[in-house]
Amino acid sequence: MARTMNLARRRRSGELTLIIMVALITGGGYMLAALGTNSEIPARIVPFLVALVALLIITHIAVRLLARGADATILPLAAFLHGIGYVMITRIDERLAGLQTTWSFVSVAAFIATLVIVQRATDLARYKWLLFTAGAVLLMLPMVPGIGTTFNTGARIWVQLGPINFQPGEFAKLALAIFFASYLADTKELIAAGTWKLGPIHLPSPRYIAPLLIAWGFSVMVMVGEKDLGSSLLFFTLFIVMLWVATQRIMYLIAGAILFAGAAYIAWRIFGHVQERVDIWLNPWADPLDDGYQIVQALYGLSDGGILGTGLGVGSPNTVPEAQNDFIFASIGEELGLVGAATVLIGFMLLVGAGLRIAMRTENSFEKLLAVGLTTVMGIQAFIIVGGVIKVIPLTGITLPFVSYGGSSLLANYVLLALLIRLSDSSARRLGELPDDPLLGERWSAWRLRRSQRRTYRGVTP
Amino acid sequence: MNRQIRQLAAGFMALYISLFVALNYWQVERQEDLNSRVDNTRQILREFNQPRGPIITADGMVVADSVAAPAASEYDFQRRYPTGDLFANVTGYYSISYGATQLEKSHSDVLVGATGRQRVLGLAELVGGQGDNSGTVRLTMRSDLQQVAKDALGEREGSVVVIEIETGAVAALWSYPSYDPNPISALDFESAGDVLTFLQESPGDPLLANAYQQRYMPGSTFKVLTTGIALEAGRINTRTKFPTEVEWVPPQTDNPIANFESTPCGGDLPEVFARSCNIPFARTAVDLGPAAMVSGVQEWGIGEEIPIDLPRPVASTFGSSDNLDQALALLAMRGFGGNEVQMVPLHMAMVAATVANGGEMMKPYVVDASIDHSGRVLERTEPEVWKRPISPENALILNSLMQGVATRGTASCCIALAGGIPVAAKTGTAQLNDTGEPERSHAWIVAFAPANEPRYAVAVMLKGTNAEISSSTGGRLAGPIAKTVLDAAMAIPA
Repeated sequence: MARTMNLARRRRSGELTLIIMVALITGGGYMLAALGTNSEIPARIVPFLVALVALLIITHIAVRLLARGADATILPLAAFLHGIGYVMITRIDERLAGLQTTWSFVSVAAFIATLVIVQRATDLARYKWLLFTAGAVLLMLPMVPGIGTTFNTGARIWVQLGPINFQPGEFAKLALAIFFASYLADTKELIAAGTWKLGPIHLPSPRYIAPLLIAWGFSVMVMVGEKDLGSSLLFFTLFIVMLWVATQRIMYLIAGAILFAGAAYIAWRIFGHVQERVDIWLNPWADPLDDGYQIVQALYGLSDGGILGTGLGVGSPNTVPEAQNDFIFASIGEELGLVGAATVLIGFMLLVGAGLRIAMRTENSFEKLLAVGLTTVMGIQAFIIVGGVIKVIPLTGITLPFVSYGGSSLLANYVLLALLIRLSDSSARRLGELPDDPLLGERWSAWRLRRSQRRTYRGVTP
Repeated sequence: MNRQIRQLAAGFMALYISLFVALNYWQVERQEDLNSRVDNTRQILREFNQPRGPIITADGMVVADSVAAPAASEYDFQRRYPTGDLFANVTGYYSISYGATQLEKSHSDVLVGATGRQRVLGLAELVGGQGDNSGTVRLTMRSDLQQVAKDALGEREGSVVVIEIETGAVAALWSYPSYDPNPISALDFESAGDVLTFLQESPGDPLLANAYQQRYMPGSTFKVLTTGIALEAGRINTRTKFPTEVEWVPPQTDNPIANFESTPCGGDLPEVFARSCNIPFARTAVDLGPAAMVSGVQEWGIGEEIPIDLPRPVASTFGSSDNLDQALALLAMRGFGGNEVQMVPLHMAMVAATVANGGEMMKPYVVDASIDHSGRVLERTEPEVWKRPISPENALILNSLMQGVATRGTASCCIALAGGIPVAAKTGTAQLNDTGEPERSHAWIVAFAPANEPRYAVAVMLKGTNAEISSSTGGRLAGPIAKTVLDAAMAIPA
């Protein structure tokens, strides 16, 4: 018992150490960026530091109370990426920094709320059809006339409800990842069995594969309708990877790759904006002042940064349109150099590693698949946008998780993070690394029970 | 499922490694290339609010400097070019929106004081609270001579280059059309863009320094090289006699080569050189053969970018040398500067200077010195020999041949200098039209003076003139410009 208690305590104190390091890095970065841009210590340094430390400590305490067996690296890694991103956003646009501060608090609140509400990850599996519907509605929302807003790049991914703008796609990816995990956990054997014979090929019974195909076709169709290629690619990859891991059939991966190649080719033939993106990708210098401007300027920023970067606040990331958003990675590469950009990449790699380690450790199929799905969503999203910015793949507008400016993205990714931490905690308890404490709800019931018993007892003995 | 998850992890690893490789490619491998692009304004954006030193000429004229920007501006400084278009090809422009070119680009670190030595030397002043560490770039060029060259050429498309023979220092480098860098360097994004677009679309490439960034058919001025190669090879000497003939059919063809206006032309080497007969040099080229000619022109630096300290120089060319032994007729035409031969005006001035300099071709340069904020010289350009295509003896022979051109040959009309200073020259007329079309030609002259004690060499090229073509076209059109410029150069105290 003492050993297992120590394990949880060691994890949490390790997390605290890392959190303190994140606070130092973020606080130092904030100060340096201000010195670089204005040559003076920012006036708001004290409130900033207070807010920073408060946020980090609150999240840490929440994990300590609600998921004390969880992996120690997940929260600090996300906080590090968030911190670097926040420093860059402050340095690029002061006004957005204020908004991002608000969103950081909201996201941390959502993180804690998720940990409170989802006390057992397996509970989520029960709501798969609700989540499927929610995901579908969220995805379709931007297409509804009146509330959908077209972004300046042509993608229709925003929704305006009263004073609030948000990108429903960021939340849909969570809902669909949970749905896929739950559905596949139930039916993976049936899908893998391939009971439907079509000549020499064994195919899964249409009955079991159909909902998946519908979910996939639906999301792809909606995304193409909204011209949001990045999200389309993201959903497709998520779907294929989860199908492959669940069924353990490499065939799905191959078929998916072929299917994707075909879809990409057709999209390229049909859609002008896809051709444009591919042309810019192949040669951004064909039109460096207009179509290729963004990527050319991003690459100039990267080369100007070189190995060590220009220094925070000294570069010119504002030259790149959307520097605080899709192109924040280029801003980091410019001011922090190859070293800083590689650090961010390593951060994502470690986060992906931590996510997949959770998947490996748990025995529960649903938890396994959910960890795989959540990790894949985050890892692929980071790859798609970073790859687009540094001209590895054609650019598709999508945010860099935790780093980019944007409330929807930050909020959704903190919920994702909370779910990963919950999964990590559950697997630790299942492996017997720490006792399976009663849930908050159970404690509440127990407390009420005890109280009513006391009352009854008192009543009996006046 | 754990096997699949491990494979997935490996897949993610591969994806992220590809990103890391790409990052290295852009930030390390391609760094220099991207940073040197004209439309890359990063460095300018970083340096724009720093004091930026002037570019001055050898005779003390400020041709680029920074002044305080208008109070309403968000910037502290405004770049200014007091001489307008006169030095645009050398200084380039410096625009916050459209980048920098020429010396403003290549010597930016000196001008803002960012070189290592400036940083170390300026440390004391910086600590003392004085933030200006900007440096000065001093040119070898002279504003008075540049002005003479500009006035002499007038509004005719072409180039004038003057170089100091002993050092290779460029004294004047002018080409028309040029442009005024002031409006492009204006802080107003829109108007600067309009001017730049207009210039980019203007005929005659005003934004290019045609004197060293373009090449043209050299016509008979190329005979200096053919003669030099043949003298070095020992195939001809001053007593060599060439038959007097109207036309000559080179090997492997039926089409004869003629002299200008199909006149009979011949005699000894000084005679045919002064009169600029074509056939003797066609014969000499064929006599030398393709291999000797190709390696000979390489000795003169043809095929290599001119090693000047300005960005993006081009190379002169002898044309394709594939299967030249199967096309001796083309080789014959190249012997007198025809067919595919194309020379950079600056390179032709260097050719004349090589003859004058005892056979040593110097590296040309426009930056004399970089100077730090307290007037200390940071770096001075040392003259350097680039090529040694001919021996001093043969250089002397060519010198006397070229003096013959000036005194009794194709340049005798127009090159005689004030005060009777002896001069050496070679003219060229590169016919551009086919037979029957209106006559168009590049008119050339290369010259140096004083012929006995050479100080300055000049090359003048007039592009695509519409005059009637004869062996004297080059001398008649370009000669007076060379004379005016050399007269002014001779007045410069040694």
